[in-house]
Amino acid sequence: MARNEYRIGALSLNVARYVIVIFGAIVMVVPFLWMINSSLMTTSEITRQPPVWFPATPQFSNFTGLLEVVPMHRLYLNSIIVAAATVLGVLFTSSIAGFAFAKYQFPGRDLLFYMILATMMVPFFITLIPVFYIVRQLGWINTFQGLVVPGIFSAYGIFLMRQFISTLPDELLDAARIDGASEPLIYARIIVPLVKPALATLGTFTFIGVWNAFLWPLLVISDRDLMTVPLGLNSLRLYAAEARNLHLLMAGTALSVVPTLVIFIFLQRYFIRGIALTGLKG
Amino acid sequence: MDGTKALATPANQFSTPRRNTLFRQRMIWAYIFISLPVAGLLVFSLGPILFTGWVSLHEWNMLTPPSEMPWVGLSNYVYLLTQDTIFQRALVNTFIFVIGGVGSNVILGLAFALLLNSRLRGQTLWRVLYFLPVITAPLALGVIFGFLFNRNYGLVNSLLIALGGTRQPFLASPDQALYVIIIMAVYQYLGYYIVIFVAGLQGIPQDYYDAASVDGANVWQRFRHITLPLLRPVMLFVIVTNTIGALQVFDLVFATTNGGPANSTMTVVLHMYNTAFKFQRMGRASAMAFILLAIILAITIVQLRLLRDRTQE
Repeated sequence: MARNEYRIGALSLNVARYVIVIFGAIVMVVPFLWMINSSLMTTSEITRQPPVWFPATPQFSNFTGLLEVVPMHRLYLNSIIVAAATVLGVLFTSSIAGFAFAKYQFPGRDLLFYMILATMMVPFFITLIPVFYIVRQLGWINTFQGLVVPGIFSAYGIFLMRQFISTLPDELLDAARIDGASEPLIYARIIVPLVKPALATLGTFTFIGVWNAFLWPLLVISDRDLMTVPLGLNSLRLYAAEARNLHLLMAGTALSVVPTLVIFIFLQRYFIRGIALTGLKG
Repeated sequence: MDGTKALATPANQFSTPRRNTLFRQRMIWAYIFISLPVAGLLVFSLGPILFTGWVSLHEWNMLTPPSEMPWVGLSNYVYLLTQDTIFQRALVNTFIFVIGGVGSNVILGLAFALLLNSRLRGQTLWRVLYFLPVITAPLALGVIFGFLFNRNYGLVNSLLIALGGTRQPFLASPDQALYVIIIMAVYQYLGYYIVIFVAGLQGIPQDYYDAASVDGANVWQRFRHITLPLLRPVMLFVIVTNTIGALQVFDLVFATTNGGPANSTMTVVLHMYNTAFKFQRMGRASAMAFILLAIILAITIVQLRLLRDRTQE
């Protein structure tokens, strides 16, 4: 009898758990579902009261209409170029400097490393005005290098890679040296392959950060042909607010969000493992 | 340390002059390896920090060369702290945003982490669903929430009315807009903190709970005396990083209210952005940046202290 009561108690506790977790999941997902539904509605359906859950006829023309206003394919290409270049840059500068700090003796090493640690937690807004000035003086306004170059030097990345590379045994390097490997070859052929998991984590978070970045692109890019996806969404937002083209705005929002979500769902294991591993934020 | 270890390996069993050239070669390679990253950080990070500090003591519109900026001493700081009512409003708003956002993320994040860490089916599914907003651009979330909380046709108002409530202005109200933005921020980052808390919970050995159960500790006692104390490093990480991030909020506000109505959602970074890039007052904006940096440092140090001291209970 007591055992049965215990079981019923445990069962209802379990049900309560599921109810809360499912409720939370619904709250998390509804905004996205609503966005996808609305992207197929007319503006009058979007604003109708009481709300319409599904479009009477799915307006796939919203997406063709959107492409006439905002060249989404072009924005995607731009975002991919900028994100890929930044990720490659961060991975290269972080791993090569992390390697040098972890595995070489040279005068000034500790001092330089402390300098890097000191800049690690510096918020972006502190450097915003001078970096904008530098980029403008270099004539990099409305260029991809203006978006990419200031972003490829990561104090956090150097720190992270140094920590990973420090754990590799020195004997590996010495063995390679006996075989006649030069120092750059040791970096390329031994270090890089061994730190791939750390590079994957650093790369993933750099990618999300750059992909979603808004403030810096807003300052550097005004040319419509060079806009990244968030910039395009912003100009669409301003346009739609004036013209009451809410259906185009929802189509644009959906088109900017859904591909990212799909990629995430396929790669989620790496994302979540990476966070748990490093507590790193994009 | 590394050097003495390297000496013992066969690779270095050469005569002394040969060894010296080898070491010199390696040292040169090390300098070559760090040259680009260190130069980059000097130009785009360390240098700009110092330059911002220098600019904050001047008046500058970014059109004249920096060598010709007029020196104004601390007057930018004095102006901000005594006369710039928008900045003061922005500071208050940002503090409310930090307290509301960080508090909710810690409580909800830990609660959901405890739920998800128990033996629930579909762990991966839940984590993916809760994580979706984390990887979504804040700007896009701002657009979506602008619709959901719209005064005239927003889904949240429809829900309120269906539940017998009255229509609320939300983002259009000076009294409510900031809280809607806090809700957005919690929605966006909760999944991230759940994942961190779950990782922290999984680091606590099951033996401790078993031993406590044998001694008759109930669920609350186990939570209070095992989970919470052992979770302190994770808690520290969550609170500190979340506070630092929240103090810099920009995108979410820019995409929804842009600081309005009546500056009720103006944040420090948004005001700084406007001051610098709308009104070209670089000196004042730089002073704002330094005040915010000082606040971040002070809060971080206090949080580190408070949470570390409690560990020695």
